[in-house]
Parts: sequence; structure tokens; C-alpha cells
Amino acid sequence: MKSLKVLVIDDESVICNACHLVLTEKGHMVDYCRTGKIGLLAIERGEYDVILLDMKLPDIDGMEILETIKAKMPARHVIVMTGYSTMSNAVEAMKMGAAEYLAKPFTDDELTEAVEKAFIDK
Amino acid sequence: MTSATRFERYFHILRDVIRAMHSITNLQEVLDIVVTKTSEALNAKGALLRILNKTTNQFEVRAAYGLGELYLSKGPVSTETLLSTLTEKDNVYIITDIWNAPRVEYPEATWDEGIRMMVDMPLAIVDPIGLIRIYFTEQRKFSNNELDFIRTVAMHCSCVIERVQAMESQQSRFIHLATQLDKLSSLGRMAAGIAHEINNPLAGILLYSSNLSKKVPPGGALEEGLKIIVKETQRCKTIIQDLLEFARDKEPQRALVNINDIMETALGIVDNEFHLRHVCLRRELTEDMEKAFLDENQIEQVFINILLNALQAVDDNGLVTVQTAVNPEQKKIYVEISDNGCGIAPDHMKKIFEPFFSTKANGTGLGLAVSYGIIENHQGDISVFSETGKGTRFIIEFPSLIDHPTGKGGE
Repeated sequence: MKSLKVLVIDDESVICNACHLVLTEKGHMVDYCRTGKIGLLAIERGEYDVILLDMKLPDIDGMEILETIKAKMPARHVIVMTGYSTMSNAVEAMKMGAAEYLAKPFTDDELTEAVEKAFIDK
Repeated sequence: MTSATRFERYFHILRDVIRAMHSITNLQEVLDIVVTKTSEALNAKGALLRILNKTTNQFEVRAAYGLGELYLSKGPVSTETLLSTLTEKDNVYIITDIWNAPRVEYPEATWDEGIRMMVDMPLAIVDPIGLIRIYFTEQRKFSNNELDFIRTVAMHCSCVIERVQAMESQQSRFIHLATQLDKLSSLGRMAAGIAHEINNPLAGILLYSSNLSKKVPPGGALEEGLKIIVKETQRCKTIIQDLLEFARDKEPQRALVNINDIMETALGIVDNEFHLRHVCLRRELTEDMEKAFLDENQIEQVFINILLNALQAVDDNGLVTVQTAVNPEQKKIYVEISDNGCGIAPDHMKKIFEPFFSTKANGTGLGLAVSYGIIENHQGDISVFSETGKGTRFIIEFPSLIDHPTGKGGE
């Protein structure tokens, strides 16, 4: 598996750190930020292969961020994460162009699989 | 008085009584008019109207006319005394021997009141509702017209009482349901908020524990402990998912379906579980089932919930019976799931549809709460009958046809 550049956008530092730990161990490069605003800036500046996006952020709604990313960079792989783990959320996010959906809580294997699968699908 | 004028008098009084019954919504006013007018018509000393209180099983005085305080203070009479000879609902009982009639509970007080004769007219539609007793100060004979008059008043009076009682019981049922629903929906909203807050910390726990469990020496206590943490965290996730499912209160996605097919699918899913436990599953699905507008997935979920509860309730070699039926006149379809298991304890009965109420070690207490919500959303109804040690019967009903705007039916 080629090393991927991953950006995590989540306001929970524990989740950012955990994703960083799990994915770097798998040989990927991980950046993370805690707000939607900084997240959008980071996406514009960096060439990320995969973006892990929390749906509930303190400043901008996750769906709005997903929309912005898909409008500007439609090819970018976005994996949405949310605590509202219901099917309708997943369906909505996929319709908006998300490549994958992770319902919190998830295991390290589920995270790795989602990130690497998003890339293979390309 | 000639018989013609007497007839006219009865007719007028009957007309007044019937008019009161149909125009007045207050039951007490109707009962007061009945005792007053009946006494007047028959030249009686007075009359007493008693209604059977089904909770205490006693006949309670609800209206009185022409009787002294002392006599009235005797209180309610028991059903045994009155019902001992109360067999035919259209029979008028004439009591001439106050002292020895088994139907007279307080003969002395009756005699002191100046009463020498009494006439009992039961109020009943099918089961006894009450009784009108008319009091006379002297013995007399009754013409067929008079007896007919008494019967007619009693018949109309019974209908009014039953109508009012049915309305009252419906009303209290609706109030109960409304509070129940209100409680459930506020709880659901709260649950959705809490679920999100809990899933975030759980995500941290699960990511670290699943990651760490691969780094510790295999087969050791550390690995075992971490695997337990992983498993238990995933269990929390399932509980929260159930809770969110419950809180979502989703509008049913209805289509015109045969409920027998939904039941067959549900039975197919649980069949193996039943087989493993050697529990017999008997199906009696009616062949004339009418189609109904139902959300297949939601109704299937309801059936699975109840079937699995039934499976838990029975011993090995138990029996679970599934029946379906149609009532074309009421435009209703019925599903009954019954078991011969342990039954539901009477003090649990009121709580079984409440969220988080469970008697199972691993239960979330949401299965029946979710089912209840789904059935409500389908304008259906669910009732449960249970006897400890004998079994439980769930009856679910749905309207067989719902008026729906053209073209929206199959959405």
C-alpha cells in the first residue's frame, strides 16, 4: 500500500490523536485540525489523498464542508464520521459525494480499511 | 282516569324522558329525570337508580327521588344480593313481601320509610349495568301498559348509560396514551443528544483499545483485558444505535402489502433460533388476508421483536402460535402472537412498553417501546394479555384500508 496523505477534521483531540496513531503506524502521513475553518484552509493548501471529516463541528456544519470540498475539488476522497450512527445520515452523506462512512465508535481496522479502500476505489 | 288519558300521560312522560336522554350530555341530569318522571307516571312514592361499579362490584346509588335521607344513607348494595335472582334483562320484578324478599337488603329501613311494595327493573344491554327500583306506599296491580312503560324507560336509560361509560373509558384511555407518547418523545429527543455525546468518547476508547490489543504479548492478561474493552465498547455502540432508531420516530414508508408475507419473512428470520431451542412455531395465517398500507421493514421489526420475546419466555419444547385474521366490517386486520411461556408479572404489565424497561439480562428495553411507536405511526393498536405461568398473547391490529391521496399510495 502506497503511503497516503490524510487530513483529519474533528473537534475531539482524542479522536485526532487516535487516528494519527493508527494511520501513521500503517505508513500514512496524517495532519489534523479541530475546526471546519482551519480544515478548509488546510485542504486548499495541502494535497491530501483522503479527508476524514466529522459531521458535527463547532463552527461549520460537516455537510456544508463536504459540499464546499465537492464543489471545489470533486475528486477528493472524503470519509465522513459521525456520532449519529443511523442509516439515513450515511445515505445523505454518500449522496453528497462522500466516499465512505464511519459510524463512531469504530476500531483501528475499520478506520484503516475505510481510508485504504477509499484510495483503492479510485 | 280513563285508560285513554292514562295512556296519553305515559306517552307524554316517555317522550320527555327520551327527549332528555338524547339532548342532554350530562348523565346525571338524565338519571334525575328518569327517577323523577318514572315516579310521577306510576304515582309512586319515589325511585332509586343504581349503577354497577365494575371496580367494586357494587350497585351504587346514582339518582334518587322521593326517599328520605335515612333510607338513602343505607349505602351501596352488593351484587350478590341483587343479582341472585336477576336473570332476564327484560323482566320486571314486583316485590310484595318486603320482609322476606331475598332482594331486599334493609327490610326494616324500607318498612319505616312507609314502603309496602317495590318494583325492580334491571338496566342491561348484555351484561347488567344497573337497576331502577320504584317504591310504592301501598300494594297495587300493574297493567301491561305500565309494565311496558317501565321496560321502555329502562331500555333507553341503559343505552344512554352504556354510551356515556364507553365515552368515558375511551377518554381516559386517550389521556393515558397521550401522556405516554409525550413521555416517549421527549425521552427520544434527549436520547439522540446523549447518543452523540457518548459516541465521541467511545470512538477514542475503541480506537486506542483495538490498536493496543495488537501490540501486547499475545495470550496474556493484557490482551484479554483489551479485547474485553473492545467488545464492551462495541456493545455500547449497539445499544446507542437501538436508542437512536427508537428516537428517530421515522414516518412509515408505506406500500400496499399482505401482512401474511411480512410475517412469513419475519418467521424465516427467527426460524433457526426456534429450531435450536426446540420451540414449536405454529402458524395459522388466514388465506383471505386483505392488503394494508404498511411499512414492510418496520412491521417486520415489530414481529421479530415480539417473536424473540416469546422465544425467551418459553421453556425448551414450548409453543409459540402466530395467527392472522381479517374483520372486513371493521376494516381491520389482526395479528396475534401467543406463547405458553412464563407470562408477564402483573406489576410489570404497565411498564413493558416503556423505554429501557427490560427483564432480560442483556436487554436494552427498547424492543417493545420501538414496536409500540411503529404501530402508533401506522394508526394501529397493540394489546397484551398475560397470565403468570400460563403465557402471553400480543394482539396487533391495523386498518386494512386507509384513505390516501391518489398516487401517493405506493411511495
